[in-house]
Amino acid sequence: MDMDEHVKLVPIANVGRIMKQILPPTAKISKEAKETIQECASEFISFVTGEASDKCHKENRRTVNGDDVCWAFSSLGFDNYAEAMLRYLYKLREFERQRANQTKGSNDEDTDEAASESENQEITTT
Amino acid sequence: MRQAGAYSGILSGGISKTGPHSLPLARIKKIMKKSSDDVKMISGEAPIIFSKACELFIEKLTKRAWIITMQGKRRTLHKEDVASAVIATDVFDFLVNLVTESNVADNKCEVNEDSQVIVET
Repeated sequence: MDMDEHVKLVPIANVGRIMKQILPPTAKISKEAKETIQECASEFISFVTGEASDKCHKENRRTVNGDDVCWAFSSLGFDNYAEAMLRYLYKLREFERQRANQTKGSNDEDTDEAASESENQEITTT
Repeated sequence: MRQAGAYSGILSGGISKTGPHSLPLARIKKIMKKSSDDVKMISGEAPIIFSKACELFIEKLTKRAWIITMQGKRRTLHKEDVASAVIATDVFDFLVNLVTESNVADNKCEVNEDSQVIVET
């Protein structure tokens, strides 16, 4: 529920789906509970991003990358996420590397979302 | 253009059943941008990390709330159960104001590492 048009939330349908997957099949979820968790998840993203962004700002870097996010998890006490997400990040980069190698010699237009270790690949957000 | 199913097999290892990403990347990017004026540019991988991490976060919060639901011998998870789970978990401190704005959790509960609920009276 968007009370404040400046506040962006993750879609409630996705939230509900994730909740359903983790609960027993006979469990019921109230609409308000879903909305509360929707707000919490959105705040989680905001909160961690703020921490990651602070770090980038202090280090005079313009781009918040996956390492910064993982660092922020650790800094804010989400240690288990930090480890798991670092592994996920490396798998992701490996996947992108392989994909980039496969498309080498053909069009490179498709790589705007590709993860890259090089600082040159900064993605502009609009 | 992102290919459907490109990530689900390789990265999620079959854990995620909700397609390539459980949360839409564009929405995550918007939330990230709004979080602070300092946020200028976001690498493509950051929203992907958050999609996964958020899924884990929602799972953890839901599980803990459900424990409190069961403690009350109920089968419907209510927002008060979520509030209680937040209050009972240190790492969710940043959410306390969010869940207690309009609603105060009736019971003070602790959920310990064995996922047992201890209700404080």
